[in-house]
Amino acid sequence: MSALLAAPQIVPAAVLGRDGAVAPSERIVMGGIGIGHRGTYDLGCFLAEPDVQFIAVCDIKEARRHAVRQMANNHYGNQDCATYRDLRELLARSDIDAVLIATGPNWHATAACLAANAGKDMYCEKPCTKNIAQSLELAATMRRTGRVFQAGTQRRSLPNFAFAIDLARYGKLGKLTTLYAHPGGLGTVMSGWEPPEPEPPKDKVDWNTYLGPAAWRPYNSKLLDGFNFEKGGGLTGGGCLEWGSHCVDLCQWANDADATAPVEYEPVGDQLHARYGNGVKLVLRNDGWLPLGSCPVRFEGETGWVETGDDADIVASSPALLVGRGAKISGYPANLHIRNFLDCVKTRAKTRANADAACEAHIACHASNIALFLNRKVQYDPVKNEFIGDDQANRLRAEALREPWRI
Amino acid sequence: MFMMNQFQNSRSRTPALFGSGFLLSLWLVLCAGVAAANAAGDPPAAVHEKEQQLIAILRSDAAPAEKAITCKRLAIYGSADAVPALAPLLADAHLASWARIALEAIPGPEAEAALRQAAGQVHGELLVGVLNSIAVKRDRQAIPVLSANLAAPDSEVACAAAVALGRVGGSSAAKALTRALPKSPAEVRSAIAQGCTLCAEQFLSAGEYGTARKLYDMVRSADLPQQRLLEATRGAILARRAAGVPLLLEQLRSPNKAFFNVGLSTARELPGPEATKALVAELGRCEASRQPRLLLALADRKDPAVWPALVEVVQHGTTKDVRVVAVEAVERSGNRDSLPVLLGAALDADPAIAKAALASLTRLPGNEVNAEMLARLQTGDPRERPVLLKLAGLRHIDAALPVAADAMNSAEPATRAAAIQAVSSMGGAPELRRLVQMLGSSGAGQRAEVESALLDISGRQGAAGAPELLPLMKSNDPAMRVLGIHALAAAGGPDGLAGVTGALNDPEESVQDEAARTLAAWPNTWPEDSAAAEQLLQMAHSTQKPSYQVLAVRGYLQFLQGDTHMSSDQKAEKISTVMPLLQRPEEKSLALTILAQAVSHQPPGKPWFESVSSFSQDSALAEDAWAAMLEGVSKAKDSLSQDERRKALQLVVEKSTSEATRKKAEAALGKLQ
Repeated sequence: MSALLAAPQIVPAAVLGRDGAVAPSERIVMGGIGIGHRGTYDLGCFLAEPDVQFIAVCDIKEARRHAVRQMANNHYGNQDCATYRDLRELLARSDIDAVLIATGPNWHATAACLAANAGKDMYCEKPCTKNIAQSLELAATMRRTGRVFQAGTQRRSLPNFAFAIDLARYGKLGKLTTLYAHPGGLGTVMSGWEPPEPEPPKDKVDWNTYLGPAAWRPYNSKLLDGFNFEKGGGLTGGGCLEWGSHCVDLCQWANDADATAPVEYEPVGDQLHARYGNGVKLVLRNDGWLPLGSCPVRFEGETGWVETGDDADIVASSPALLVGRGAKISGYPANLHIRNFLDCVKTRAKTRANADAACEAHIACHASNIALFLNRKVQYDPVKNEFIGDDQANRLRAEALREPWRI
Repeated sequence: MFMMNQFQNSRSRTPALFGSGFLLSLWLVLCAGVAAANAAGDPPAAVHEKEQQLIAILRSDAAPAEKAITCKRLAIYGSADAVPALAPLLADAHLASWARIALEAIPGPEAEAALRQAAGQVHGELLVGVLNSIAVKRDRQAIPVLSANLAAPDSEVACAAAVALGRVGGSSAAKALTRALPKSPAEVRSAIAQGCTLCAEQFLSAGEYGTARKLYDMVRSADLPQQRLLEATRGAILARRAAGVPLLLEQLRSPNKAFFNVGLSTARELPGPEATKALVAELGRCEASRQPRLLLALADRKDPAVWPALVEVVQHGTTKDVRVVAVEAVERSGNRDSLPVLLGAALDADPAIAKAALASLTRLPGNEVNAEMLARLQTGDPRERPVLLKLAGLRHIDAALPVAADAMNSAEPATRAAAIQAVSSMGGAPELRRLVQMLGSSGAGQRAEVESALLDISGRQGAAGAPELLPLMKSNDPAMRVLGIHALAAAGGPDGLAGVTGALNDPEESVQDEAARTLAAWPNTWPEDSAAAEQLLQMAHSTQKPSYQVLAVRGYLQFLQGDTHMSSDQKAEKISTVMPLLQRPEEKSLALTILAQAVSHQPPGKPWFESVSSFSQDSALAEDAWAAMLEGVSKAKDSLSQDERRKALQLVVEKSTSEATRKKAEAALGKLQ
């Protein structure tokens, strides 16, 4: 019994054409869309992989386009990296196999569906969707187009989380009773319509494209923080979605619930309590954690419990549970997750954070936010994907995209 | 409620300040929204009244920002009554996107009719938006409008109409798309094909396989970008069901990598025994470079019929790589017979195969796997015993511990080593006792394994294991006593500490040295194991050996450094007690560093300042001391009077030789005065 990742990678490098010099036929040609702070980190991980050739970047900010082009060109010692302001131009390139999408969350689902329809596989940062409808459509698009999708929930590929999840999934904690996720704040943060400011030249900052699928509003530099802009549709986003897309996602996995979502959500004090169809409880709470770093999760069963976080330490109810826990990798690096994506691009297998799993985890977060927003208990049917007898909650499942965008 | 930047709802803090009057009014509107949202059980009359207020805002000369937020609120509270107020906004370049948020959410024919009507009135991107909203509402009555727009001169409009028809679905929409596909311009054709595929997907879900197949096939035969052909090919295979196997195999044999990839993903999706049978046969025919990927796809089908093929490749695959992949495929298959196959592979002469199999065996889920492993360990093939013992430890099969403990005496070296490894993972106090006994009789080769197990269990057992280790300290062999020191340190607790401290008086100097080193770097739970600090302090004061004194002082300082509960003043007082023993620059520097770090947790008082000040007497440390004092003053607002802080800063200004430090102190002094 050990974490999936504690053992060496099974598929030999030679099989996937990444040992030694990589043949052109085995190279994955990539572009990047919206490469800011997080994207630059991700890109560094991609560049470190010998079978990746990064050749193009798209960003609405000129400074970012140039910085990323410089980064890629310096890495390869050439001048080949092309720059684009409009993602559609980058996606139209037939020589690009896959894209890294690291825009703000406002764009994630729309860009991902555009990429899939353009025939690209993608690694997409989280939160991947703005609402329940987008979550469902993202998964459907990936299935229909047959594209490989990896959500940027890299903790799915880290040994300490995988180990704790194995304990939960394989009955080492007894029958599961309660899962705990750290939402990093349960407030619902909005992105608003700020007073107009003079709009910069399009070449410097393309405001219209930045807004993209978000409803129109005048330029204001305060809104240029793509990381927070329109997170959760500018309606019910915030901490629950920002961190929940990691922590709730891990709880989903621990409960073998990658194909479903909780059926009930209720704000209780400073917490959000949800319940799965199998009776397992999910608690989103900000405090009460052991000091194990950011993004902690805790899984409790009838005979034991385990807790872990970004420090990669694992604490359990019994030392015996920790046998064989494997490598300790702290600091939540993305390189293992990115490698999993690249391997799946080649094998066409499902990624660890595939679109179906990401869809359900995001639905759990969005439904939690809706319960918080309405400040009452809501019940959800994960088969019909609708709230039961709750018209207001159902209306919050989707939001129109600004013209001309659609997914 | 919806639009305030950085706004948090009633569960969170409210914004402290508002930048403008319009934002304040927006805030009030939002608060009202929360109240209404919380009152989900309000009588319909109240909801109606709320809606009427919102409609009035839209009809007023309110600012666009206010109308925008109103649209969003109407998405929740709006009914058919709101549609006439929303509809005109569809022609407003700035508010159309907001109006559509409401119109997409409001159920009923009125909203649909408004969108259809707008489709005949607006143009360009606004029309694209309206068509996109019609798609979301899946309004069948809009099919004529959408069909007409397939021929729109604006290709973006035509594309939106095509995709919308696909979303609406049904035979009428499919017919319109089918007619348009061959005669549409290239820039629209891909969207029409997308519409066809969306339509076909709905037919497929509804079990109308023939209709779906025709649509997919039509797309496959058109002149289109590759992605449209790929997704249509996938659909065409799935719509054919069992009869789709030849088309699937065609993709797996395609020289085009993209179509081969569609074959791989669709091989995972197409259900049925015919597909499995054909894919297994294909495995034997396909070129070697494609075999591993096809193997993984086969395994993902989770079809027991794949099993014999997987076993065949594990055992007799033509290359090492494909065999390793087959091992993973066996693991992925979830087959009940995976265990014996993987056990066989774990005994393979090729280390790569054996390693992969062991990793897979470690991961195989389920308590029944553990039970079977235990049964085989007790009565199975003796050749499997080393692997099974290793697995017992790796999987922590507690019930296997007695078997593993017995096997530590096995005459067969591999079994013995694996048994010790398993005991190392699972053992407790009784096994510690057993290992201590074994040390006396172990040969050199085995001794390292036993020692390693001893340390592992000691660390895991903690203080409870220490009594079992004390006999090691009575051994005549100094090496045993050194091992005892290490194991006792790993266990920690009062017994562990007593054992190690006692070894400071060991007759062997090498054992004394190891005890001193171990005590100075007490490896357990600082500062909870704080009794070690007192031992170190005692050793520092009493030892005659200068090297021990250095070790003891350093260890004691590290204890102080690690204690987050102790105040900065308490640390200062404790450092003062060892000041006479701080002879070397390294320890002095460490002591000053500890004092400097302490103020980040606790505000410093007089003892802290006195202690830091004493370090300024040492020219090598003076500047660090002044810098620390400067930092300390900034943290001492509640622990020192203003006059005391001023005096401290004046001292820094007068004494520091660093211009930067002086300037900072002067600036702080200025602020203070």
